[in-house]
Formats: sequence, C-alpha cells, structure tokens
Amino acid sequence: MADVAMLDRTYDFIMKRLIADGRAPHHTEIAAGLGVTPDAGRQLLLDLMAVGLPNWLHPHTDLIASFPPFNNQPTQYRLGVGGEWKWYAQCGLEALAACWAFPGRPVEIQAPCLDCGKSIEVTVKDGRIERAAPATTRFYVSVPVRDWRANLIYT
Amino acid sequence: MNLFRSEEDARRWAEFVPGSEAGIVTLEQALAIMSTPRHRQRFDGRYVSSSPNYTAAFFAKLSEVTGGSPYWEPPAT
Repeated sequence: MADVAMLDRTYDFIMKRLIADGRAPHHTEIAAGLGVTPDAGRQLLLDLMAVGLPNWLHPHTDLIASFPPFNNQPTQYRLGVGGEWKWYAQCGLEALAACWAFPGRPVEIQAPCLDCGKSIEVTVKDGRIERAAPATTRFYVSVPVRDWRANLIYT
Repeated sequence: MNLFRSEEDARRWAEFVPGSEAGIVTLEQALAIMSTPRHRQRFDGRYVSSSPNYTAAFFAKLSEVTGGSPYWEPPAT
C-alpha cells in the first residue's frame, strides 16, 4: 500500500481532472501527472480504491467507474456548469454535493424521474437550492444508512 | 439514491421498498446531509488522510436533519 501522502496526491489529481475534463483519467495519465511509471500509477489507483472511500472501478478492469460526487460512467444525473454539460453525478444525493466542486458557480442538475420519466431540474450553488422544478422534488434512498456500504452500487 | 418529482412518485416507483418511507426527504434535507466536511473537503488535497476525521460530523448531521430517525442511524461499530 502506498503511503497516505501519495494517496492524497492521487485522489487530488483524479478529482481535479474530473472537474476540469468531465472524465476520470486513465492510470497512465495518473502516472504522468504524478511523475511515476505507468505500472506505479496503476498500483496507486488500486491502492486508492482499496482505502474504503465510496469510489469504485468497473468490474474486472483498472478503469475508474465512480468517484463521487462524479460518475465516470454516465448516469441519469447530468450536471451543467456555465453552460457545459460534461459531468455525471454518482447518484441523486451526490448530484447535490457536486456544488462543492464548483464554488461560487451554479450547478444545474437534470434527471428524469424514475417513476414517471418526466424531467427534474435543480440548481444548487454553494450549499443552497436556488431552483427546483418541480418544487415537490424529493430524494429517496431505499435502504437504511446502516446498510449503505453493503448496497453501495444499488441504493 | 434517487430524485423523484414528488413523494408520491417515490412511493409509486417500481423499486420502492415497503417500510422505507423514512428514506424520503426534501431537497433541503438532502443537501444539508451532503454539506458536512465529508463532502466539502474532497477538494482540499488531503482528503484521503483527513476523511476519517469527518465521519462523526456526517452521522451527527444525519441524525439532526432526520430528527433522529432509526432509518438514518449509522451502522453499529
């Protein structure tokens, strides 16, 4: 396992690339960014994913699938900032938390309602809901918090 | 962990779990839950090393926002 300072750098590199590009870097990009060999970059990624944070790889690959608040694999939670729509949120809850990645800027969330298929639009900025259409929009999690970790991908 | 146009939509959803009504909260409650250092400090360059320090505040906020609902209680340690 890499030392925690190196894992801090790896996490920060991935997060900054997600914010800038709307996609997660490949481990070769992580390696180049941190000045290590491609294999060392891959190992840093694997070590980071083993820490226990709610990030994960696509099964049987070394490709980042989810890195909250973002998802590298598209979800129904599209995020727009300044007219750019290049991000996806991990889930409905993390879509709201994405505002912390863009301080001072409105983050627009677009998603279909899973029941009726009609549109949900929410704008959040610096921890405040600026707009919600419809105003009756609700968040729902189907398992209690004590079971979140065991059901992380399915909640 | 999904958004719905209304509480009624959430309850009608094909994957709604009977007995999980306490899992429906307002957007303001959901955002409050996601506003502790556990979520705000992801961008400070030290998140892996510092994140264990944020757990207690997150669970305290869950309890505060949901009025101490057992549904939102953390796992027993």
